Amino acid sequence: MGGSGSFFSFVVEQITQFLSYTAFANLTSGHLIMIVIGLIFIYLAIAKEYEPMLLVPIGFGILIGNIAFTPGLKLGIYETGSVLNYLYFGVMQGLYPPLIFLGIGAMTDFSALISNPKLILIGAAAQFGIFGAYAIALALGFSPAEAGAIGIIGGADGPTAIFLSSKLAPDLMGAIAISAYSYMALVPVIQPPIMKLLTSKKERVIRMKPPRAVSKQEKIFFPIAGLLLTTFLVPSGLPLLGMLFFGNLLKESGVTKRLADTAKGSLIDIVTILLGLTVGASTQATTFLTPQSVKIFLLGAFSFVIATTAGVLFVKFFNLFLKEGNKINPLIGNSGVSAVPDSARVSQVVGLQYDRTNYLLMHAMGPNVAGVIGSAVAAGILLSFLS
Amino acid sequence: MSINSLKITIVVLLVSFAGLRMVSGQSALDLRINEVLVENNSNYVDDFGEHSPWIEIFNSAYNSVDIGGLYLTDDLSNPTKYRIARGQQITLIPPRSYLVFWANNQPSHGIRHLNFVLQEGKTIALYDANGRTLIDSVTIPYSMQPDITYGRKVDGGDVWVNLAKSTPGANNDTEFHPLAADKFLEVDPSGSGMAFVAMTVVFTALAILFVFFKNLSRVLKMDMSKQRIARTLAKARLGRDTEGAVDKPETEEEFNVSGEVNAAIAMTLYLYSAELHDAENTVLTINKVSRTYSPWSSKIYGLRKSPN
Repeated sequence: MGGSGSFFSFVVEQITQFLSYTAFANLTSGHLIMIVIGLIFIYLAIAKEYEPMLLVPIGFGILIGNIAFTPGLKLGIYETGSVLNYLYFGVMQGLYPPLIFLGIGAMTDFSALISNPKLILIGAAAQFGIFGAYAIALALGFSPAEAGAIGIIGGADGPTAIFLSSKLAPDLMGAIAISAYSYMALVPVIQPPIMKLLTSKKERVIRMKPPRAVSKQEKIFFPIAGLLLTTFLVPSGLPLLGMLFFGNLLKESGVTKRLADTAKGSLIDIVTILLGLTVGASTQATTFLTPQSVKIFLLGAFSFVIATTAGVLFVKFFNLFLKEGNKINPLIGNSGVSAVPDSARVSQVVGLQYDRTNYLLMHAMGPNVAGVIGSAVAAGILLSFLS
Repeated sequence: MSINSLKITIVVLLVSFAGLRMVSGQSALDLRINEVLVENNSNYVDDFGEHSPWIEIFNSAYNSVDIGGLYLTDDLSNPTKYRIARGQQITLIPPRSYLVFWANNQPSHGIRHLNFVLQEGKTIALYDANGRTLIDSVTIPYSMQPDITYGRKVDGGDVWVNLAKSTPGANNDTEFHPLAADKFLEVDPSGSGMAFVAMTVVFTALAILFVFFKNLSRVLKMDMSKQRIARTLAKARLGRDTEGAVDKPETEEEFNVSGEVNAAIAMTLYLYSAELHDAENTVLTINKVSRTYSPWSSKIYGLRKSPN
């Protein structure tokens, strides 16, 4: 009887220990909140098709990261030696973002930009969002390095935001990445009211000349000259700009089709999966749900508003110097942020609301891809000033 | 290989070689003698508890460099006086880090103990593994004070001074230097300065791209046949008489044929060529088809009568 009694108590003890390891025992309200956020991301991605390629991995990553567990079992993304920690290495060391940029370069057609180079300047103007958010972040008590990492959300470029925050403010990377991707997904919601507010009816129906045909030579020259001209000025942007232009050369050279196909296909897909999942998983409630994260979210929204405003106003200003017939439709000003091609699509949709035959998509792609370059340059500047 | 391409290859190789010589290779050539102590009375002790003179080597590269196989000497006429053992973990100097050697003439104490003693007026030199390439050297001045080290003011820098603090295995520059980010916070607490400077750089970078690509198409001298087509089209569009008209210099707009125009031309040509066929006479011939009846071909005779 004594033997069976000790066995019984042993079993009870083991079951009790097992129960103490379950997520039910370790669950906190923070975990629940994050799980709900993860579910919202997945819902937005599947039902509303907002950036599904990013929000599905990130949303599911949030679920993975917020399954409560007992620390010490090498399970968590922040525990050295865990599988998730190994996968997270590419985020922490800034490895994934340049690979994403390689793929973006291989799938981007810069013809719209080459055919009408003045659109490049809109891509520069929209970077005001970064520095507006930087100033506000400083006022809210963030350190300059943290403010720089938060400000880059205004560039509307997820990989750039992750790259810069991994260097300047690794502790805030989860919140910054989630904020950047959330607002990128919400570009169709955030930008149209600002665009309509800042433009007149007459401006919205400006017709732009169709882009001219761009020769193959020009397309090949673009990545080479683009790399040399930008990175000579801002070498710290090299990891992002180097890979972006390299990917574009693979595409445009016409002799490396297999490499270009890999860069814009399997490679970028693999990296997107790893990046999205691990960034999502990095939002463990214990490290993520802080007042700082809330501030970062507010600053992110603010930076998107400034970026859109600056882009639209810059086009209006620029139009003062352009002859009639050469004027730019200010509805493409919002595309200076580098959310490719979402913000260009917003220009197209808003433009069609006022003139059903005025197609702005190709024109908006110019500042849109310029925004990718501009935000990478801005990230390089912040890195060299603040690291 | 033609003569021209041979010349180009030689020039490229020469330029590359010159570049290699000028740019530090992130190798043993990046090692620097960084700090020395001649008279050690109460300073750093070696692993035998002795106060010995020492030499600090600094790896100025941003990658690990193995000092194994290189030579340290206090006699320029004998560059291979002390060969540092290779294949040792200890000789691998991490990026921007240091390794201290004891110049106490006791090489039996370990690989970091040299076979000479530091003396005032002597030149200490570090030679590459070939025993000929001088990597770095320093002449120790006379009248060195006890326990005061002679070193570079800034690690790897050019200026040598008597250092206020001896720093074996550590940064020579012990003064407080605020980080760039801290300086920004102090000088530019609102962030407006950063915004101004950074936006200027962003605009400059993209304006350079703008100017470059604005002029690239002209520089490349795009296909002249396309330009001719563009000219003809532009003239036709403007209703000009192309016959006998004086050729004016074309504007940029006339050069630039949009993709839509090209697509329209291509579609027109395609439709035209698809419609194109031989000229035919327009006589319509109607042949009467006569069907003559024959019971041999009638199926009805091949069928059996249905039973009543």
